[in-house]
Amino acid sequence: MAAKESGDARAESALSSANPSQQASEKPNYALKFTLVGHTEAVSSVKFSPNGEWLASSSADKVIIIWGAYDGKYEKTLYGHSLEISDVAWSSDSSRLVSASDDKTLKIWDVRSGKCLKTLKGHSNYVFCCNFNPPSNLIISGSFDETVKIWEVKTGKCLKTLSAHSDPVSAVHFNCSGSLIVSGSYDGVCRIWDAASGQCLKTLVDDDNPPVSFVKFSPNGKYILIATLDNTLKLWDYSRGRCLKTYTGHKNEKYCIFANFSVTGGKWIVSGSEDNLIYIWNLQTKEIVQKLQGHTDVVISAACHPTENIIASAALGNDKTIKLWRSNY
Amino acid sequence: MEGDGSDPEPPDAGEDSKSENGENAPIYCICRKPDINCFMIGCDNCNEWFHGDCIRITEKMAKAIREWYCRECREKDPKLEIRYRHKKSRERDSNERDGSEPRDEGGGRKRPAPDPDLQRRAGSGTGVGAMLARGSASPHKSSPQPLVATPSQHHQQQQQIKRSARMCGECEACRRTEDCGHCDFCRDMKKFGGPNKIRQKCRLRQCQLRARESYKYFPSSLSPVTPSESLPRPRRPLPTQQQPQPSQKPGRIREDEGAVASAAVKEPPEATATPEPLSDEDLPLDPDLYQDFCAGAFDDHGLPWMSDTEESPFLDPALRKRAVKVKHVKRREKKSEKKKEERYKRHRQKQKHKDKWKHPERADAKDPASLPQCLGPGCVRPAQPGSKYCSDDCGMKLAANRIYEILPQRIQQWQQSPCIAEEHGKKLLERIRREQQSARTRLQEMERRFHELEAIILRAKQQAVREDEESNEGDSDDTDLQIFCVSCGHPINPRVALRHMERCYAKYESQTSFGSMYPTRIEGATRLFCDVYNPQSKTYCKRLQVLCPEHSRDPKVPADEVCGCPLVRDVFELTGDFCRLPKRQCNRHYCWEKLRRAEVDLERVRVWYKLDELFEQERNVRTAMTNRAGLLALMLHQTIQHDPLTTDLRSSADR
Repeated sequence: MAAKESGDARAESALSSANPSQQASEKPNYALKFTLVGHTEAVSSVKFSPNGEWLASSSADKVIIIWGAYDGKYEKTLYGHSLEISDVAWSSDSSRLVSASDDKTLKIWDVRSGKCLKTLKGHSNYVFCCNFNPPSNLIISGSFDETVKIWEVKTGKCLKTLSAHSDPVSAVHFNCSGSLIVSGSYDGVCRIWDAASGQCLKTLVDDDNPPVSFVKFSPNGKYILIATLDNTLKLWDYSRGRCLKTYTGHKNEKYCIFANFSVTGGKWIVSGSEDNLIYIWNLQTKEIVQKLQGHTDVVISAACHPTENIIASAALGNDKTIKLWRSNY
Repeated sequence: MEGDGSDPEPPDAGEDSKSENGENAPIYCICRKPDINCFMIGCDNCNEWFHGDCIRITEKMAKAIREWYCRECREKDPKLEIRYRHKKSRERDSNERDGSEPRDEGGGRKRPAPDPDLQRRAGSGTGVGAMLARGSASPHKSSPQPLVATPSQHHQQQQQIKRSARMCGECEACRRTEDCGHCDFCRDMKKFGGPNKIRQKCRLRQCQLRARESYKYFPSSLSPVTPSESLPRPRRPLPTQQQPQPSQKPGRIREDEGAVASAAVKEPPEATATPEPLSDEDLPLDPDLYQDFCAGAFDDHGLPWMSDTEESPFLDPALRKRAVKVKHVKRREKKSEKKKEERYKRHRQKQKHKDKWKHPERADAKDPASLPQCLGPGCVRPAQPGSKYCSDDCGMKLAANRIYEILPQRIQQWQQSPCIAEEHGKKLLERIRREQQSARTRLQEMERRFHELEAIILRAKQQAVREDEESNEGDSDDTDLQIFCVSCGHPINPRVALRHMERCYAKYESQTSFGSMYPTRIEGATRLFCDVYNPQSKTYCKRLQVLCPEHSRDPKVPADEVCGCPLVRDVFELTGDFCRLPKRQCNRHYCWEKLRRAEVDLERVRVWYKLDELFEQERNVRTAMTNRAGLLALMLHQTIQHDPLTTDLRSSADR
């Protein structure tokens, strides 16, 4: 099946050209398997661990909960933040988490013991997004104070502050080698930075500049997925500075909704939406191949499992649950 | 700004008109002149101001008046009567005030206060009271009069309730004789065990007419005070165009209850307090009042008055035109914004805290029927104030019921599908146990080698000395080469190089310490670490005992002791022979026992470390396993399975 054929290209190519016609006709059949109840406030972000065993969810109730990724069972809770948490990210060895919170700090957690290892202070406003670099010795964070900060994990010190934007920074991401950083912000601009020097290499602006709510590198590092608050997702070839694909049909005008590349089975783009559905597009043809229904509030985050065809989705305050969906392909 | 307050009065009351004069100045009195620079008295009914000269009332007479109505009003409504103050209280007041301006109804009236807005803000029908409330702060005392005058009140308890600037003597609150003991002011009193920091009368005894609004207390059971009187103090201001600061959250708190208990709205934590620009009524038009502001008199009570002492140009508000005043307010606003924000926040927190305290007391005042019912199962008693249960037992019973009801379901849910983390944990434990096994065997191996070595050394020592045989070996070395010692840098003869370097190294090493805070406690280990206690650094030396240069000296070698080092061929093969040179002369095998022992010890230490590590890992896994599916975890979280066939989302279940 398509899954096996693209098995070798799984982790790398986002635009696989293997049998496009066959892939184009395939649709995933994601079905709801588990609902994870436990948060007492809106869930803000869900992420699978790189080793595929755990799912971390951060929430406005100031805690992070770790669930088993395969059975959805509750594992533990990480306490420590004093205000709502906006984002959480795993380190590459799945042993550490970093969380970004409205209390202007980031915290590094050791998952096994549940303890907070370090608190990173330095931002002057809500910290909105965070990520590890692939070697997991650096953390990058974007904040409402319009800066992007690079932190060293070992010491907890801020190594660099990039005055990146003129509006809150909504997303930051490293590419697969850790040499580039992409940052997106409400000012409508996406910037690409050199991680070592902190220089801005490129600025991506389209004709219109609606606020950027989410940016991410593709798994092979060649493309950038940009979500904007005008109900659009765009796939850019950033080296040429051209928009290659546009995905629409969902609703995204208010919240910073996470979007993802699904590469374990068919090549999809997965995103939440403000109409309580999860949208899945075929990456090449841009068609909506499936819409997952089940949440009762805005689906703020949708994460794809690194090895299996599993999607985890989380919704806001009216719902407060996380749902696990699985597909055969 | 005008008419912004809570007064309901129609703008035309009191015969004011602005449009008559070309100047647009308000006119007063029966003479209809805008002159406000002389003594004036205000009618408590129509709120019109009259010149004392025009109606022939002198300032002195006015002192004696408590309520005054103009002729017209009196004619219209025969019920209105001019009321005078009691002689005695008047005397005392004037004594205590030491020549400062009397704070009674004369105070407010004296000032050319007849700003129609001010009047209106005072509210209809309460002119005197409000004026007093605002105007009667004594600049010399931070606490209102009645507290000071309390002793006298005791004497007059039965006969006459005293009157003063802060006590009308006639209202319910003034007539109370005993402190309630529950309000925050009472609890601050020494006699109720308080720290005496706030120093105010009991809340229920704050005069309803004359006390400061923020001290009053409006329980539903007591007679309500008119809303116009309960001016919010301090107020969170509404934003105007001039205010540059946008508010981030729509919800805003208006403390309309005037520092008194009614639902204090919970403020969203990150909302920045946008201070309201002062409306005119909040401005201390009375300079004496303003002095209080300056003196921070009100700050003692934690009320966030603006005690902006740097703002001086407020002394003569009467002389300013209103437009200027307004501008000044705004300017003042901007400067003090931040400060006020802070204080508002603090005050609000204090508010909330106060309110929390107040509710229980208020509930006491209620009759039991109005308290909610206890939530305990089958319990019909009323709940304790501030709680959902009538007693601890009920709370426990309800919690137990909840657990009985919910927990079995959750346990069943949990067991529906195998817990993958649990399986991983078990596998991990297996692995750890295996590794521990191997580590233990290695340890045994080490011990055996240790003993072996000791045996060898022993045997070697028993050999006889044979000097002549191998003594020539060393002479074949070239004595021209010079090696530099790595520790001290001096050139040395290669023949004695080993010896020299060993000694040199030991010399330098003995000057540094290497230790940890904990003594070694390992069962079954004969000799590993030096463990000598250093009292200065409070550490135990953690070098290997056999070669710690700091704490052990090489024993003096007797002349006949043989070297005894097992000789080898091609580095590894043991010949079975031993070096026969006397120890003192042998330069090749210097300290061989020490080094070999150290080797073995080091291996042993390494194995122990490994065991320790494994033990730690095991502990982690075991705690994770025991803590999984605990009571709290099950009660607070659940995993709903939608597809009974799928218990494991992995595609190939061979992991």
